[in-house]
Amino acid sequence: MKKDRELIQDFQNGDEEAFNELVRRYLDLVHGFFQKLTNDEMEAEDLAQTVFIKLFKSLKNFRFKSEFNTYLYRVNANTANTYFKRNKWRNILHLDQTVEPTYDDNEQDKEWKKEELWNAISKLPKKQRSVVMIRISEMLPFKDIGNILHMSEGTAKVNFHHGIKRIKTLLGIVE
Amino acid sequence: MNFESKIRQTISDSDKTIDKEQFINNLTEARFKHKLKRSQAFSGILAICLIIIVGLTSYFELDQGVIQSGRNYYFIDRNISYSDFDKDNYNNDYLLDDLAIYIIEEEDDIWTAFSFLDEIEFDNFINYIEEES
Repeated sequence: MKKDRELIQDFQNGDEEAFNELVRRYLDLVHGFFQKLTNDEMEAEDLAQTVFIKLFKSLKNFRFKSEFNTYLYRVNANTANTYFKRNKWRNILHLDQTVEPTYDDNEQDKEWKKEELWNAISKLPKKQRSVVMIRISEMLPFKDIGNILHMSEGTAKVNFHHGIKRIKTLLGIVE
Repeated sequence: MNFESKIRQTISDSDKTIDKEQFINNLTEARFKHKLKRSQAFSGILAICLIIIVGLTSYFELDQGVIQSGRNYYFIDRNISYSDFDKDNYNNDYLLDDLAIYIIEEEDDIWTAFSFLDEIEFDNFINYIEEES
């Protein structure tokens, strides 16, 4: 089985089947990431498609300065950020469809819906959002998250901590 | 259960598989559509640029020497050169001689032509005729 690097090199030399092989290899990862992010199966597939179209364009100039995995996570995070930005405007234009947190008597043990959670995550600043997104969906160590988002391990941890704190506030969870 | 685990639990309830070959086919189609859209947009921009350039060129060309009279516009050509009349003799005197010959040839009564040339004090041709005779 060819390594990612070899497949990318083949693709750069004009072999489109090599790109298709990369898609087969990483589709579950990419699709899974967006499936966690959205409730809509079609939307998850569209976002995965956007990621691979971006890769198709950018891999031709890929210089192997980072691992393909790391690069792919970065593209995922950027695409997710764009998705949140687009949804933010969509929510502003359709205020009635914005998901509001539901409160019950037992605040500590309450179960929130996926939409409420992602709605809260989408309200985080970009850096915090990216760290939280990758951490909770891929369970990657902070060192790897730092590599993906061009920040130190410590910065990734701090951003995650602040992000989680803010999410708790947005979901109405009292500590 | 800590908060992070609870979040993971909330988002991990939807692990559906995807048909990879179908996805690749859709992706290829989408890529071609993107490419087509890009080339169409590029052609559109190119066409607009061309129309603007041709339009501006025409406007500046036509606008030279335009004379407005009432609601009508008249255009004149400022680039008439003497070479249009006579390539060899573009000297003023030769041109007037040619004109005088033309008047004499076209006028039925030669004396009327002579009296006209006399009126405008154009003696060259009359002198030439007299010398010849």
